[in-house]
Amino acid sequence: MNEFVEQFLLEARELIEQAAGDLLALEQRPDDPDRVDSVFRAFHTLKGAAGIVEFEAMGRALHAVEGVLTGVRSKESALSTTMIDECLACLDQVTRWLDDMEVTGKVPTEARPAADAIVQRFLGITRPAASGLQVGDWLARLQEASPGHFSEAQTALRYLPHADAFFRGEDPLAFIRELPGLVSIELALSDPATPFDDIDPFTCGMEILALSKADAEAVTRSLADVSDQIEVHAIRPRTASDAALAPLARSILEAQILLLREPRQSGGSGQAASAGQVSINVCRHAGIDPAADQIAAALNSDDIASIIKAIEHALQNQQGDVSAEKSEQPRIPSSATARVLRVETTRIDTLVNLTGELTVVKNALGHLATQAQSGLDTKAVAGTLRRLQMQLDRLVGEVQRAVLRIRVVPMRQMFQRFPRPVREISAGVGKSVTFAVEGEDTEADTAIVEALFEPLLHVLRNSIDHGVEDFGQRIASGKPPTATIVLRAFRELDNVIVEVEDDGRGVDVDRVREVAVTRGLVEADTLERMTDADIVDLIFASGFSTAREVTGLSGRGVGMDAVRTAVERLGGRVSIDSRSSIGTVVRLTLPFTVMIARVMTIEAAGQAFGIPLDAVVETAMIPRDRIVPIGQAMAFAWRGRTVPLVSLAASLGLTSHVSTNAAEARVVITVAGGQLGAIEVERLGERMDVMIKPMDGLLGGMSGVAGTTLLGDGRVLIVLDVQELFN
Amino acid sequence: MILANTKHVLIIDDAALVRAYYRQTLEQAGYRVDEALNGLEALEKILLHSFDLLIVDINMPQMDGLTFLRTLRDKEPPLSAIPALVTSTEAGQQDIASARAAGANYYVVKPLKRELLTELVGMLCGVTA
Amino acid sequence: MTVTRVDKGKIELAGTCPSDDAETLFQFLLEDRSAEVDWSRCERAHTAVIQVLLASGCKITGALGGNFLGEYIDAALRRAGGKIRPFPAGL
Repeated sequence: MNEFVEQFLLEARELIEQAAGDLLALEQRPDDPDRVDSVFRAFHTLKGAAGIVEFEAMGRALHAVEGVLTGVRSKESALSTTMIDECLACLDQVTRWLDDMEVTGKVPTEARPAADAIVQRFLGITRPAASGLQVGDWLARLQEASPGHFSEAQTALRYLPHADAFFRGEDPLAFIRELPGLVSIELALSDPATPFDDIDPFTCGMEILALSKADAEAVTRSLADVSDQIEVHAIRPRTASDAALAPLARSILEAQILLLREPRQSGGSGQAASAGQVSINVCRHAGIDPAADQIAAALNSDDIASIIKAIEHALQNQQGDVSAEKSEQPRIPSSATARVLRVETTRIDTLVNLTGELTVVKNALGHLATQAQSGLDTKAVAGTLRRLQMQLDRLVGEVQRAVLRIRVVPMRQMFQRFPRPVREISAGVGKSVTFAVEGEDTEADTAIVEALFEPLLHVLRNSIDHGVEDFGQRIASGKPPTATIVLRAFRELDNVIVEVEDDGRGVDVDRVREVAVTRGLVEADTLERMTDADIVDLIFASGFSTAREVTGLSGRGVGMDAVRTAVERLGGRVSIDSRSSIGTVVRLTLPFTVMIARVMTIEAAGQAFGIPLDAVVETAMIPRDRIVPIGQAMAFAWRGRTVPLVSLAASLGLTSHVSTNAAEARVVITVAGGQLGAIEVERLGERMDVMIKPMDGLLGGMSGVAGTTLLGDGRVLIVLDVQELFN
Repeated sequence: MILANTKHVLIIDDAALVRAYYRQTLEQAGYRVDEALNGLEALEKILLHSFDLLIVDINMPQMDGLTFLRTLRDKEPPLSAIPALVTSTEAGQQDIASARAAGANYYVVKPLKRELLTELVGMLCGVTA
Repeated sequence: MTVTRVDKGKIELAGTCPSDDAETLFQFLLEDRSAEVDWSRCERAHTAVIQVLLASGCKITGALGGNFLGEYIDAALRRAGGKIRPFPAGL
């Protein structure tokens, strides 16, 4: 691989994360100049990096994006949701290119079409519409019908009174009349095709759409009596509150300032006058008349500077929430690609120190050996040896711990990957979700952090899809229309706990019970004796996936059972705590330290074992007639050496599945402690990296076993300690 | 019925389809709309009616948008001060800068979505609730 | 009387029109599809009445600027006007 490519991949991925984070932040606050700067710089730097590795297509695509962002940066255009989406999509494509490069080690050859497509999209990008998200067709209709009103409103509402509303004595429009901050109303018939003659004047068949300056909560409260017939949508959900200028309006005003700064054309005063007029118009449209009047006064004075000042004044005053706190810009640490880690130097220093101490012990051993050779008595030798062994024992332990510390990274880098998918999933099912993250500084082994992403994503998907109720239901149960989902991590003794908490409807115990019985997961009488908590836990049972869960979203062939398996394979466990109509907490408990071994898997007596690869010399087929008993054990000659043979089946007291009459024995030749050995096996498996849960407590004393782990198919893999095996 | 506060927009574009699209969109939103095929025709029309906004396409035969705009801005008030929205297929920095230098109040890239058009026109004309 | 047929082709809404008026208005409009409705003296109208106006697509005059009807409903009805089917041919 080109030596630059590896570095390029590392840096490019970091830049992508930075840019994505900035873009998502900008979605909440499109006016944040620091973020705009940051995202621009990220794309700009990415473009430069592409140049270094001579990835022409990527450079070209990024150049197009950079061009649009320049306009945003210079305030000539405002950042729209469409732009943000397109930028994110571009980052996705770049990520795909990077993945390709990682595999091939070279610049992708088929990148041009995708790059062209990106360039096209960015050239054709229109200036932003004032508001972004469209939820449902009615909102779009409302916006199209009266866009002027739409841009001043904070809340949109759809009221579909029941057909018998009139009979019940209700006057729907009277409710609307009382709406706080009412801006405008749209009326439509639910069924416009009905001929006039066939209409029943006493059946209500109207759709009432309305826009209000008040916020969604106020609107919802005002219509509490008919909450089951309304749909409320916040137009500017989290950003500016009342009286803030829409991004488009700001953009126009800023353009007028630029126009006013243009050198005057020959004698003509038209451009200044038109700029002033447009600014006044924009302010009147936005309902900020004092600002409009101020600009008009400045216009009369014919003094360009004062006109500019008046417009700037309008812009500043209408900034909405200009909070003093600067949004923190976390330096995003390396998104641990599988093979590369960024590590705090202090942790490396610890290792270096330990190496020093080990060297001291090593030298002492060497000295002792010399002494022994020149006749030092056995007892003295034994004494020193014992002392040195104890030191070594302590040091090895410390080295192990230090190495594990190096592998430990904060959750942040994985947590950071969630806001975007959560946003997409929520949008996909039309639900409004606030996603919060807690405890991102919590540390855990990098392997665990990496491996948790998929299961957590699935839990989140589940939560949004099933846990969170839709708008109407939430309002009907008195909950805030926007659901909250929290992803949190914290340490507890030797464990790392990761939780996904939502304020949704909780797990439907009855439905779980139903499904469990239908799918024969549990006997009916056992079910009787189970507590609600136990029943809820059945969600993790394999075979549980209900038909309702197999939506396009959740149905990627992954059920909650896969989540449990994945977590258990990491040496952890998962549980669920659900309270009906209050919410659900899914809790993953993982061990803080793990050991990773690269093993070769083998099978003997139907049990799967792992042999650490660094102990494996070779595999061979040995003719049975060459295996001879030596003392209590069996052995054979191999390359001029005598190799003791251990049969795992026999040593575990299990029945071998291979007849000893077979002509040849399949063996794995191992080395440990300088000694060769051979292990007879029935089948050879693949090589894998496994996370071994260290054996401690009672099982820690078991000879020959280093630890256990769970395989993907749920079987237990016993990892062997080869040295102990041959003792 | 033309109410006293109906805003009057002039669409200057040589493409019939574009003019029809803008006209339909804006009339539905309650604006009064007129059309011109090029800069020359536009200069004549603005002498006849008082417009609240001009929507000018940059690329037109016989007198392109920017030339028209420069000519306009050079005239006597109130004609010279009519707000002008420039439309173009290009999105380059240079294009935007040139349009501004010619006296454009705002610049958008075609194709223009309906909602954006009505929103923009509303703001530029100062339509109130 | 809140709903009156003034003379041929004109219906007047006045005062506060309750839901029952919807039926009366409906009948009047059935009889004369091209009638105009004048609500310059109308202060409030039940939704049922508005619904009939909406469905009929009839011409409405005299909107008062100062009240709910004039400020909001009148505009809404006019905007909806384009989307309601036109007068059936032949009537």
